[in-house]
Amino acid sequence: MSKTSVIYDKFERHSQGQGLKGHATHYCPGCGHGLAHKFLAEAIDALGIQDRTVAVSPVGCSVFLYYYFDVGNTQAAHGRAPVVALGHKFANPDSVVISYQGDGDLASIGLAETVATAQLGAPITVIFINNAIYGMTGGQMAPTTLMGQQSSTSPAGRDQYNGQPMKMAELIAGLDGPVYVERVALFDAKQRIKAKKAIQKAIKLQVEGRGYSFIEVLAECPTHLKMSPEETEKWVKECMEPVYPLGVKKDLTVEPWFHRNAPCFKGEKILALTGASTERPERFCKGFPTQLDKNDVSLKLAGSGGDGAQTAAMLIARAAISEGFDATHIPSYGPESRGGTSYADVHVAEDEVLNPGSPDPQILLAFNAPSLAKFGPTVRKGGYVIYDSSVVTEAPVLDPSIKVFPVPFTGIATDLGKAVVKNIVALGALQAATNIFPKETLLSAIGVALKDKCALIPLNEEAFAWGIKSVEALNS
Amino acid sequence: MALKERPKPFLLPDYCKGCGRCLDACAKDCITLSDQINPTTGLVPVELDLANCNACGMCMDACPEPYGLRPAHEGEIQDFELEDPAKLFGVKPSDAPEPTDIPNETLPLPRTEPLVIKGTYASAVGAILAGCRHVYGYPITPSTEGAELMAKFLPKLDGTFIQAVSEVAAVNMMYGTAGAGLPTMTFTSSPGFSLMLEGVSYMIGAELPGVFVDVMRGGPGLGNIAPEQSDIKLACHGLGHGNTQAITLAPSTPQEMLDLTILAFELTFKYRSPVILLGDGYLGQMTGKVQLPETMIKPGIPKWAVYGDAMHRKNLISSIFLTETELEAHNIHLNAKYEAMQVEVRSETFLCDDAEVVLIACNTPARTAKGAVQALRNQGIKAGLFRPITLWPFPVEALKKAIKTAKRIVVVEASAGQLEDEVRLALSKAGVYQFPELENVRRMGGVLPQQTEIMTRVLGQKEVMA
Repeated sequence: MSKTSVIYDKFERHSQGQGLKGHATHYCPGCGHGLAHKFLAEAIDALGIQDRTVAVSPVGCSVFLYYYFDVGNTQAAHGRAPVVALGHKFANPDSVVISYQGDGDLASIGLAETVATAQLGAPITVIFINNAIYGMTGGQMAPTTLMGQQSSTSPAGRDQYNGQPMKMAELIAGLDGPVYVERVALFDAKQRIKAKKAIQKAIKLQVEGRGYSFIEVLAECPTHLKMSPEETEKWVKECMEPVYPLGVKKDLTVEPWFHRNAPCFKGEKILALTGASTERPERFCKGFPTQLDKNDVSLKLAGSGGDGAQTAAMLIARAAISEGFDATHIPSYGPESRGGTSYADVHVAEDEVLNPGSPDPQILLAFNAPSLAKFGPTVRKGGYVIYDSSVVTEAPVLDPSIKVFPVPFTGIATDLGKAVVKNIVALGALQAATNIFPKETLLSAIGVALKDKCALIPLNEEAFAWGIKSVEALNS
Repeated sequence: MALKERPKPFLLPDYCKGCGRCLDACAKDCITLSDQINPTTGLVPVELDLANCNACGMCMDACPEPYGLRPAHEGEIQDFELEDPAKLFGVKPSDAPEPTDIPNETLPLPRTEPLVIKGTYASAVGAILAGCRHVYGYPITPSTEGAELMAKFLPKLDGTFIQAVSEVAAVNMMYGTAGAGLPTMTFTSSPGFSLMLEGVSYMIGAELPGVFVDVMRGGPGLGNIAPEQSDIKLACHGLGHGNTQAITLAPSTPQEMLDLTILAFELTFKYRSPVILLGDGYLGQMTGKVQLPETMIKPGIPKWAVYGDAMHRKNLISSIFLTETELEAHNIHLNAKYEAMQVEVRSETFLCDDAEVVLIACNTPARTAKGAVQALRNQGIKAGLFRPITLWPFPVEALKKAIKTAKRIVVVEASAGQLEDEVRLALSKAGVYQFPELENVRRMGGVLPQQTEIMTRVLGQKEVMA
């Protein structure tokens, strides 16, 4: 009723408040937006939340909502107001965020944001102005335009080829997220009182942290309906209301649930999450394994998903870094989620890995015949090939300078009772064949990886030892 | 208890648009449409005759104008000649205070042993250490691990991770949180980045901070999920509509994924403008050694924010400048910021001092190129690498130094020449027109240039395609 302090004393943002623009809205005579604005301002005032309120202006005639409301204001891209509102709400859960949108914004271009935000259910308040026409762009068809209604883009009247009007209140009420959905109108004194109450209730539910609320307001656009304000009120009542029935569409009794603690900035908690340790692991290496390369050892581990090639690769990289070297590991997979090819490129460098790819590795760990066939020929002269002789029956012919170690990874692991430790058998074999690191380095990396599954450590140690033994047997 | 007397309506004709919505609302027929045009407004205001008015207030409820029909209080005689509302109602300017900056706090962290983590994880950890507790995203390979790690970590830090309905929604959630003045970011990959560009343009226009980690993949269209440097052009020259630029960082190691993410948050707030971190699918998945810094940030709230509290009530976040001159002035202001950002150039040169062959590459191809430089040096060829770390602004002064002794320049990239275009544009803008003809090693579609291909190109042998 009365002008509240929530409406600016002077509309400075409306052409610097010059002349009449300082106190008159930019809306056409008889437009429903002004009423919705007043009711919204009164609700903010009544709830005593002016300082906490953030109003999100949409794109459409109400794009300049921020001219009028003495609250925090954000102007959003077309259709995105509800998600902008969520961004504000999660940034400051104590803020009261209102997404004010027209029918093009909410029910057309922003439909995905509208529905998803409603279903998310976080307590924000959406005020939806449905006037069945596009106002700002000049009288085009809206998603809410009635069947048969003429607009500049449905000049013969909306027909079936333009689709049916969107009944947003019913659509939103059909979702589980919202707690309160009502459709109200402005065309007579009784409806205006209901509209006021609905808007206030919707915001109160947010203030209390009870959930998402949605108020659809059937509003008048005399200019683009090409009627007098009086005729437009009548049109809304007689033509719109039958299509968009007024009333409460959903009203759940929900206990307040939206409580968010202030974010944590405790260093020790963050470090614990990342797994970073202040303790230096024990080092066992005397120096870089120069028997393999002057300063950069390149490995390829290849198998199928489930062979454990990536885990083994990761253990090698971790072992190297715990020794103070640099290391990289690049996984690559086939398109399958499970059981496809699984390759890993690993580099261990004394100072810095330059090229992390392993197109011509010095060491190949192959878990199956296709991997051995594919990558065996890429191994550098004088390199090492270690493969699972349990599954590879016929090894390809490789350069005679390459040292080849057939080790039954799978057979040993199966004998130990767990086929999944075949990659650890492989690591043992790698250690014995190449002496890339001392045994202790790799065992320590395995121990760290299993620190939450200590019971598995003895089995893995045994698998590792068997890998070593197998290579020693081949060497002897 | 005496009933408080209800006020009768009052109307300043200048603020009446003559819509007549109040007519029906009045049961006593006190209001009529006039035929007198108001000389100030050119509109025809309603006329009040309050002889029968019972002060029901319904007309005021029906009036759409905030300064239209309103209650007349004692002493406020209905003097239509009095034009200044301040005289009628008294001046009541907004009591919203002048906001001030709440600065960031830098908190110490103990020195830790290096982590062994993937590039995307390193970036996520960097964001957390930079104070980011609000992450919005939509899963897209090969960037998803970043979002997954945030989904795991942030709830434990009372932060927010929301999987949005789309990239469009994600960037606009960022717009909201950035509007509230807090650090926010997303992980995405090329097709998702395309979708976010509308929001990036709005964020630049509204001067909002936000960090976009784009783990680039093969395109165009759905393309594939393998690494390509496909979005250099978008990040440097195509950030949505309008006059848009953003600092674009190109890490090449997991360590840089962390370091440059932290830097990105610093720069995005320094300039109130989004910062893009371009990774590639290889780098995102690559595990390496990552040393954490010895400090972390607890963010404050900048004075321009719309935080949703008393201190920030007067603020507005918006990219609208309705009059042409205002929008031109805004663009001049943005240009001044883009100019100021030029000092943020960063690059690495590797063995360029005497280099006769200078390779130019960024991201993972720069590492491959580095390997090639070492291998070429081992063969006695004076090769060097110039690696831009900021792609925009382009470190052209450093490039000029790096190619001083160059007889050949080879641009190595996993794209159809997007990096080369940046090199050419930067040299041209810097007035450098004399330089060796640019040669290239380019792979596309998710294939990365191999060290052998670079060697072959430099050694002048027949090109070997993998």
